[in-house]
Amino acid sequence: MGEVIVVTSGKGGVGKTTTTANLGVGLAALGHKVALIDADIGLRNLDVLLGLENRIVYDLTDVTGGRCRLKQALIKDKHCEGLHLLPASQTKDKTAVSQEEMKKLCQDMAQEFEYVIIDCPAGIEQGFRNAIAGANKAIVVTTPEVAAVRDADRIIGLLEAAELRNPKLVINRFRYKMVQQKDMMSIEDIIDILAVDLLGVVPEDEQVVVSTNKGESVIQDERSRSGQAFRNIVRRIKGEAIPLMNLNQSGMLNKLRRIIGLR
Amino acid sequence: MASEAKKETTSSPEKALSEIKSNFIDSNTILVQRTLRAGQKIHFNGNVVILGDVNPGAEVVAAGNIIVMGNVRGVVHAGAEGNTLAMVMAFRLQPIQLRIANHITRPPDEEEMPGSYPEVAHLKDGVVTIEAFSTCGER
Repeated sequence: MGEVIVVTSGKGGVGKTTTTANLGVGLAALGHKVALIDADIGLRNLDVLLGLENRIVYDLTDVTGGRCRLKQALIKDKHCEGLHLLPASQTKDKTAVSQEEMKKLCQDMAQEFEYVIIDCPAGIEQGFRNAIAGANKAIVVTTPEVAAVRDADRIIGLLEAAELRNPKLVINRFRYKMVQQKDMMSIEDIIDILAVDLLGVVPEDEQVVVSTNKGESVIQDERSRSGQAFRNIVRRIKGEAIPLMNLNQSGMLNKLRRIIGLR
Repeated sequence: MASEAKKETTSSPEKALSEIKSNFIDSNTILVQRTLRAGQKIHFNGNVVILGDVNPGAEVVAAGNIIVMGNVRGVVHAGAEGNTLAMVMAFRLQPIQLRIANHITRPPDEEEMPGSYPEVAHLKDGVVTIEAFSTCGER
């Protein structure tokens, strides 16, 4: 049985879909059999991020509605062997699927894949409840903003109520400089409120926008700092103990300065 | 604010605290053994003791006293049915809004250094007053 992980956040725009895509590509790159489910029915995005939009024939609602077999709806990733996508429907809405159907779907997919990662829609309504119905693990994505942390807190409460305990936290779009200037919440501030295990911190990176628009994943970019952060997260999901990367962008420079006595 | 209150040597704070103490003895109390997260709410017709935090966006409403063994960052309302002797006590008191009976207060807009010690809020002469909580001396 594979793991079924839901990636959720409450607030929109914090990077659920980006995180889902990168973790999927990262796990597949390590040789795992991975399936991504886009549970954001009506506002599908995950296929665009992966550059698979033009290959969609059947979608999630066709599978749950019995109009096609799971195998027919699954799309193989073009870059990554072992990565599959179950796209969302663009023309239906969240009521097109029930929680029982999602549970059944997740169980079926967990038989076949080592990791099933669900991209949850924003909000706490039916779409959210559907997305978490079949999951046995949860990753909560937040940004260092008061509103995003507040929503993450609410989501963690709802996950606990749904028996999804000990969710892991990903802090996205982190800006070291702004935190140093006390213009942004620090990692400590966020953990202090949310009181959950930290899975990783992804620095703000313009490269994410570039690769997203090209339908590629930043995790495959060896030089990208956010890619490195996602690679670390992937290894932590696999159970390895990887320390947090140095988030100070000019870390090497500062070290050098200290050595030659400028500081 | 807290240090000011401590310096007072008149008998009125002692009297107030003894009133609080007697008001405390009430078997109608619930123990909440978790942190209240955003959107979670506790409404109780008695005292509430929370072993955890009250996060921003969470709400505790009690007819009696509220004791939080953790941080209060949300909204707390003690004496919700009009008990002006009700009080709120927390390891760290940084509420978004604090209400006692029909008095509603919020922390001043300018950022204050939050106290890293237990504090107690109660009504004193019709004003919500926050004092450092001490286990010796006044009790």
